[in-house]
Amino acid sequence: MLKIAYGAAGLAALAALTAGPANAQLLTHKDISLAMAVTMARTAIETCKGQGYNVSVNVLGRNGEVILGLRNELAGPATFENSMKKAYTARTFRQPSGRFAENVKGNPTAGALFLANIVPAQGALPIVVDGDTIGSIGVSGAPGGDKDEACAKAGIDKVAAELK
Amino acid sequence: MLRTAHLATGLALALTCGAATSANAQLATHKDLTLPIALTIAETAVQTCTAQGNKVSVHVVGRDGEVLVAMRGDGTGPHTMENSMRKAYTSRFQRRPSGEFAKQAKDNPTVGALHLANMIPAQGALPIKVGDDVIGAIGVSGSPGGDKDEACAKAGIDKVADQLK
Repeated sequence: MLKIAYGAAGLAALAALTAGPANAQLLTHKDISLAMAVTMARTAIETCKGQGYNVSVNVLGRNGEVILGLRNELAGPATFENSMKKAYTARTFRQPSGRFAENVKGNPTAGALFLANIVPAQGALPIVVDGDTIGSIGVSGAPGGDKDEACAKAGIDKVAAELK
Repeated sequence: MLRTAHLATGLALALTCGAATSANAQLATHKDLTLPIALTIAETAVQTCTAQGNKVSVHVVGRDGEVLVAMRGDGTGPHTMENSMRKAYTSRFQRRPSGEFAKQAKDNPTVGALHLANMIPAQGALPIKVGDDVIGAIGVSGSPGGDKDEACAKAGIDKVADQLK
Protein backbone atom coordinates (compact mmCIF):
# COMPACT_ATOMS: atom_id res chain seq x y z
CA MET A 1 0.00 0.00 0.00
CA LEU A 2 2.83 2.32 0.93
CA LYS A 3 4.68 1.33 -2.24
CA ILE A 4 1.69 2.12 -4.35
CA ALA A 5 1.39 5.47 -2.66
CA TYR A 6 5.03 6.24 -3.48
CA GLY A 7 4.44 5.10 -7.02
CA ALA A 8 1.52 7.44 -7.32
CA ALA A 9 3.58 10.26 -5.89
CA GLY A 10 6.29 9.52 -8.46
CA LEU A 11 3.78 9.66 -11.27
CA ALA A 12 2.50 12.94 -9.93
CA ALA A 13 6.06 14.30 -9.90
CA LEU A 14 6.50 13.21 -13.51
CA ALA A 15 3.28 14.99 -14.39
CA ALA A 16 4.62 18.10 -12.69
CA LEU A 17 7.78 17.90 -14.77
CA THR A 18 5.95 17.60 -18.04
CA ALA A 19 3.80 20.50 -16.91
CA GLY A 20 6.90 22.69 -16.91
CA PRO A 21 7.31 23.15 -20.65
CA ALA A 22 8.85 26.59 -20.06
CA ASN A 23 12.05 24.79 -19.07
CA ALA A 24 11.77 22.03 -21.60
CA GLN A 25 11.68 24.20 -24.73
CA LEU A 26 14.18 26.54 -26.29
CA LEU A 27 13.38 30.21 -26.34
CA THR A 28 12.08 31.47 -29.64
CA HIS A 29 12.46 35.13 -30.42
CA LYS A 30 12.80 37.57 -33.28
CA ASP A 31 15.90 39.63 -33.88
CA ILE A 32 16.85 42.61 -36.01
CA SER A 33 18.64 41.76 -39.25
CA LEU A 34 21.57 43.82 -40.49
CA ALA A 35 19.61 44.85 -43.59
CA MET A 36 16.82 46.22 -41.40
CA ALA A 37 19.32 48.02 -39.18
CA VAL A 38 20.92 49.65 -42.21
CA THR A 39 17.53 50.87 -43.46
CA MET A 40 16.63 52.30 -40.05
CA ALA A 41 19.97 54.05 -39.54
CA ARG A 42 20.06 55.46 -43.06
CA THR A 43 16.52 56.76 -42.75
CA ALA A 44 17.34 58.40 -39.42
CA ILE A 45 20.42 60.10 -40.86
CA GLU A 46 18.61 61.25 -44.01
CA THR A 47 15.62 62.51 -42.02
CA CYS A 48 17.85 64.63 -39.79
CA LYS A 49 19.88 65.74 -42.81
CA GLY A 50 16.66 66.90 -44.44
CA GLN A 51 16.07 69.08 -41.41
CA GLY A 52 19.58 70.48 -41.59
CA TYR A 53 21.12 68.34 -38.86
CA ASN A 54 24.10 66.02 -39.15
CA VAL A 55 23.77 63.06 -36.82
CA SER A 56 25.50 59.81 -35.95
CA VAL A 57 23.40 56.71 -35.33
CA ASN A 58 23.71 53.38 -33.56
CA VAL A 59 21.33 50.45 -33.84
CA LEU A 60 21.60 47.85 -31.09
CA GLY A 61 20.23 44.37 -30.80
CA ARG A 62 18.50 42.39 -28.09
CA ASN A 63 21.56 42.14 -25.87
CA GLY A 64 22.57 45.73 -26.29
CA GLU A 65 25.18 44.65 -28.85
CA VAL A 66 25.98 47.06 -31.67
CA ILE A 67 24.49 45.83 -34.92
CA LEU A 68 25.31 48.99 -36.80
CA GLY A 69 27.28 52.08 -35.82
CA LEU A 70 27.50 55.00 -38.24
CA ARG A 71 29.78 57.93 -37.51
CA ASN A 72 28.72 61.01 -39.42
CA GLU A 73 31.91 62.80 -40.40
CA LEU A 74 29.98 66.07 -40.40
CA ALA A 75 28.73 65.66 -36.83
CA GLY A 76 30.69 66.28 -33.64
CA PRO A 77 33.07 63.59 -32.42
CA ALA A 78 30.97 62.87 -29.33
CA THR A 79 27.89 61.97 -31.36
CA PHE A 80 29.06 58.46 -32.17
CA GLU A 81 29.50 57.52 -28.52
CA ASN A 82 26.42 59.40 -27.46
CA SER A 83 24.14 57.71 -29.97
CA MET A 84 25.38 54.31 -28.79
CA LYS A 85 24.83 55.14 -25.13
CA LYS A 86 21.37 56.57 -25.76
CA ALA A 87 20.46 53.43 -27.67
CA TYR A 88 21.86 51.22 -24.92
CA THR A 89 19.78 53.12 -22.37
CA ALA A 90 16.62 52.73 -24.43
CA ARG A 91 17.24 49.01 -24.89
CA THR A 92 18.04 48.39 -21.25
CA PHE A 93 15.05 50.22 -19.83
CA ARG A 94 12.74 49.25 -22.69
CA GLN A 95 11.62 52.84 -23.09
CA PRO A 96 12.66 56.04 -24.84
CA SER A 97 15.95 57.28 -23.36
CA GLY A 98 14.22 60.63 -22.96
CA ARG A 99 11.71 59.10 -20.57
CA PHE A 100 14.55 57.67 -18.52
CA ALA A 101 16.11 61.15 -18.50
CA GLU A 102 12.84 62.60 -17.21
CA ASN A 103 12.56 59.90 -14.55
CA VAL A 104 16.01 60.54 -13.08
CA LYS A 105 15.72 64.30 -13.15
CA GLY A 106 14.33 64.25 -9.63
CA ASN A 107 16.82 61.61 -8.49
CA PRO A 108 20.32 62.50 -9.67
CA THR A 109 21.84 59.68 -7.61
CA ALA A 110 19.68 56.94 -9.09
CA GLY A 111 21.78 53.79 -9.19
CA ALA A 112 21.09 53.19 -12.87
CA LEU A 113 22.96 56.38 -13.74
CA PHE A 114 26.15 54.73 -12.53
CA LEU A 115 25.95 51.73 -14.82
CA ALA A 116 28.17 51.56 -17.90
CA ASN A 117 26.75 53.09 -21.07
CA ILE A 118 23.68 54.55 -19.41
CA VAL A 119 23.04 58.17 -20.33
CA PRO A 120 20.08 60.37 -19.33
CA ALA A 121 19.56 61.96 -22.74
CA GLN A 122 16.69 61.99 -25.20
CA GLY A 123 17.21 60.68 -28.72
CA ALA A 124 16.80 56.91 -28.63
CA LEU A 125 13.79 54.61 -28.91
CA PRO A 126 13.33 50.92 -28.21
CA ILE A 127 12.50 48.69 -31.16
CA VAL A 128 9.54 46.58 -30.13
CA VAL A 129 7.82 43.55 -31.65
CA ASP A 130 4.62 42.42 -29.94
CA GLY A 131 5.67 43.94 -26.64
CA ASP A 132 9.13 42.41 -26.87
CA THR A 133 12.05 44.87 -27.01
CA ILE A 134 14.38 43.42 -29.60
CA GLY A 135 16.76 46.37 -29.84
CA SER A 136 16.95 50.12 -30.08
CA ILE A 137 18.08 53.01 -32.21
CA GLY A 138 19.97 56.01 -30.87
CA VAL A 139 20.60 59.33 -32.62
CA SER A 140 22.90 62.20 -31.64
CA GLY A 141 23.85 65.47 -33.28
CA ALA A 142 20.68 67.49 -33.68
CA PRO A 143 20.28 70.61 -31.50
CA GLY A 144 17.89 68.97 -29.04
CA GLY A 145 17.12 65.41 -28.04
CA ASP A 146 13.56 65.77 -29.30
CA LYS A 147 14.88 66.31 -32.81
CA ASP A 148 17.20 63.32 -32.49
CA GLU A 149 14.28 61.23 -31.29
CA ALA A 150 12.10 62.29 -34.22
CA CYS A 151 14.76 60.96 -36.61
CA ALA A 152 15.03 57.72 -34.61
CA LYS A 153 11.26 57.35 -34.94
CA ALA A 154 11.44 57.94 -38.70
CA GLY A 155 13.94 55.09 -38.89
CA ILE A 156 11.69 52.68 -37.01
CA ASP A 157 8.60 53.80 -38.92
CA LYS A 158 10.36 53.00 -42.18
CA VAL A 159 10.55 49.29 -41.28
CA ALA A 160 7.32 49.17 -39.23
CA ALA A 161 5.73 46.71 -41.65
CA GLU A 162 8.58 44.28 -41.08
CA LEU A 163 8.56 44.49 -37.30
CA LYS A 164 6.29 41.54 -36.70
CA MET B 1 80.40 97.17 -39.11
CA LEU B 2 80.15 94.09 -36.91
CA ARG B 3 76.72 95.17 -35.88
CA THR B 4 75.64 95.61 -39.43
CA ALA B 5 76.97 92.18 -40.24
CA HIS B 6 75.03 90.70 -37.36
CA LEU B 7 71.95 92.50 -38.43
CA ALA B 8 72.35 91.30 -41.97
CA THR B 9 72.87 87.73 -40.76
CA GLY B 10 69.83 88.04 -38.58
CA LEU B 11 67.73 89.33 -41.41
CA ALA B 12 69.00 86.64 -43.72
CA LEU B 13 68.31 83.99 -41.13
CA ALA B 14 64.86 85.30 -40.38
CA LEU B 15 63.97 85.55 -44.03
CA THR B 16 65.45 82.19 -44.96
CA CYS B 17 63.87 80.40 -42.05
CA GLY B 18 60.58 82.12 -42.57
CA ALA B 19 60.50 81.21 -46.20
CA ALA B 20 61.84 77.71 -45.61
CA THR B 21 59.27 76.90 -42.96
CA SER B 22 56.29 77.79 -45.09
CA ALA B 23 55.19 74.20 -44.51
CA ASN B 24 54.38 75.24 -40.96
CA ALA B 25 52.59 78.34 -42.05
CA GLN B 26 49.94 76.47 -43.97
CA LEU B 27 47.22 74.18 -42.76
CA ALA B 28 47.43 70.54 -43.76
CA THR B 29 45.02 69.60 -46.49
CA HIS B 30 43.89 66.04 -46.86
CA LYS B 31 41.05 63.91 -48.11
CA ASP B 32 38.89 61.87 -45.81
CA LEU B 33 36.25 59.21 -46.18
CA THR B 34 32.62 60.29 -46.06
CA LEU B 35 30.03 58.18 -44.30
CA PRO B 36 28.20 57.29 -47.56
CA ILE B 37 31.44 56.02 -49.12
CA ALA B 38 32.39 54.12 -45.96
CA LEU B 39 28.92 52.58 -45.83
CA THR B 40 29.13 51.45 -49.46
CA ILE B 41 32.53 49.84 -48.80
CA ALA B 42 31.19 47.98 -45.75
CA GLU B 43 27.94 46.86 -47.35
CA THR B 44 29.76 45.59 -50.43
CA ALA B 45 32.17 43.59 -48.27
CA VAL B 46 29.32 41.98 -46.30
CA GLN B 47 27.36 41.20 -49.46
CA THR B 48 30.41 39.72 -51.19
CA CYS B 49 31.17 37.38 -48.30
CA THR B 50 27.49 36.51 -47.87
CA ALA B 51 27.31 35.52 -51.53
CA GLN B 52 30.21 33.15 -50.88
CA GLY B 53 28.33 31.61 -47.99
CA ASN B 54 30.40 33.28 -45.29
CA LYS B 55 28.91 35.34 -42.48
CA VAL B 56 31.08 38.30 -41.59
CA SER B 57 31.18 41.51 -39.62
CA VAL B 58 32.92 44.58 -41.00
CA HIS B 59 34.53 47.75 -39.69
CA VAL B 60 35.61 50.78 -41.67
CA VAL B 61 37.94 53.12 -39.81
CA GLY B 62 39.09 56.59 -40.82
CA ARG B 63 42.39 58.42 -40.94
CA ASP B 64 42.84 58.44 -37.18
CA GLY B 65 41.70 54.87 -36.73
CA GLU B 66 38.30 56.12 -35.60
CA VAL B 67 35.35 53.86 -36.37
CA LEU B 68 33.24 55.21 -39.23
CA VAL B 69 31.09 52.13 -39.76
CA ALA B 70 30.63 49.14 -37.48
CA MET B 71 28.53 46.40 -39.05
CA ARG B 72 27.54 43.15 -37.37
CA GLY B 73 26.60 40.52 -39.93
CA ASP B 74 23.56 38.31 -39.34
CA GLY B 75 24.48 35.07 -37.62
CA THR B 76 28.13 35.95 -37.06
CA GLY B 77 30.21 34.90 -34.07
CA PRO B 78 30.35 37.44 -31.28
CA HIS B 79 34.10 37.99 -31.68
CA THR B 80 33.81 39.14 -35.28
CA MET B 81 32.96 42.72 -34.34
CA GLU B 82 36.07 43.15 -32.21
CA ASN B 83 38.21 41.25 -34.66
CA SER B 84 37.15 43.22 -37.73
CA MET B 85 37.75 46.49 -35.87
CA ARG B 86 41.20 45.44 -34.72
CA LYS B 87 42.20 44.15 -38.14
CA ALA B 88 41.11 47.46 -39.66
CA TYR B 89 42.95 49.43 -36.99
CA THR B 90 46.10 47.37 -37.57
CA SER B 91 45.89 47.94 -41.30
CA ARG B 92 45.41 51.68 -40.89
CA PHE B 93 48.21 51.90 -38.36
CA GLN B 94 50.65 49.88 -40.48
CA ARG B 95 49.49 51.38 -43.78
CA ARG B 96 49.40 47.90 -45.30
CA PRO B 97 47.29 44.74 -45.31
CA SER B 98 46.95 43.35 -41.78
CA GLY B 99 47.98 40.01 -43.27
CA GLU B 100 51.44 41.42 -44.05
CA PHE B 101 51.81 42.50 -40.46
CA ALA B 102 50.75 38.99 -39.41
CA LYS B 103 53.55 37.51 -41.51
CA GLN B 104 56.08 39.88 -40.01
CA ALA B 105 54.89 39.02 -36.50
CA LYS B 106 55.30 35.33 -37.27
CA ASP B 107 58.96 35.89 -38.04
CA ASN B 108 59.37 38.21 -35.09
CA PRO B 109 56.89 37.32 -32.33
CA THR B 110 58.27 39.97 -30.02
CA VAL B 111 57.76 42.84 -32.45
CA GLY B 112 56.79 45.82 -30.32
CA ALA B 113 53.68 46.71 -32.29
CA LEU B 114 52.03 43.50 -31.11
CA HIS B 115 51.82 45.02 -27.66
CA LEU B 116 49.98 48.16 -28.68
CA ALA B 117 46.26 48.47 -28.11
CA ASN B 118 44.03 47.06 -30.85
CA MET B 119 46.87 45.61 -32.91
CA ILE B 120 46.23 42.08 -34.11
CA PRO B 121 48.31 39.81 -36.36
CA ALA B 122 45.49 38.57 -38.55
CA GLN B 123 44.72 38.76 -42.25
CA GLY B 124 41.45 40.30 -43.44
CA ALA B 125 41.96 44.08 -43.57
CA LEU B 126 43.26 46.45 -46.20
CA PRO B 127 44.26 50.11 -46.07
CA ILE B 128 42.08 52.55 -48.00
CA LYS B 129 44.30 54.84 -50.02
CA VAL B 130 44.12 57.98 -52.10
CA GLY B 131 47.33 57.81 -54.07
CA ASP B 132 49.92 56.97 -51.41
CA ASP B 133 47.95 58.57 -48.60
CA VAL B 134 46.26 56.09 -46.28
CA ILE B 135 42.93 57.65 -45.32
CA GLY B 136 41.47 54.65 -43.51
CA ALA B 137 41.04 50.91 -43.59
CA ILE B 138 38.45 48.17 -43.85
CA GLY B 139 38.52 45.04 -41.74
CA VAL B 140 36.48 41.87 -42.22
CA SER B 141 36.07 38.90 -39.89
CA GLY B 142 34.05 35.71 -40.00
CA SER B 143 35.15 33.78 -43.10
CA PRO B 144 37.00 30.50 -42.66
CA GLY B 145 40.37 32.05 -43.52
CA GLY B 146 41.77 35.54 -43.50
CA ASP B 147 42.38 35.38 -47.24
CA LYS B 148 38.62 35.09 -47.79
CA ASP B 149 37.99 38.01 -45.43
CA GLU B 150 40.58 40.05 -47.29
CA ALA B 151 38.98 39.31 -50.67
CA CYS B 152 35.70 40.79 -49.39
CA ALA B 153 37.55 43.81 -48.02
CA LYS B 154 39.08 44.29 -51.46
CA ALA B 155 35.65 44.04 -53.12
CA GLY B 156 34.46 46.82 -50.85
CA ILE B 157 37.34 49.13 -51.78
CA ASP B 158 37.07 48.25 -55.48
CA LYS B 159 33.42 49.27 -55.43
CA VAL B 160 34.33 52.90 -54.66
CA ALA B 161 37.67 52.97 -56.49
CA ASP B 162 36.57 55.80 -58.77
CA GLN B 163 35.68 57.95 -55.75
CA LEU B 164 39.04 57.47 -54.03
CA LYS B 165 40.81 60.41 -55.60
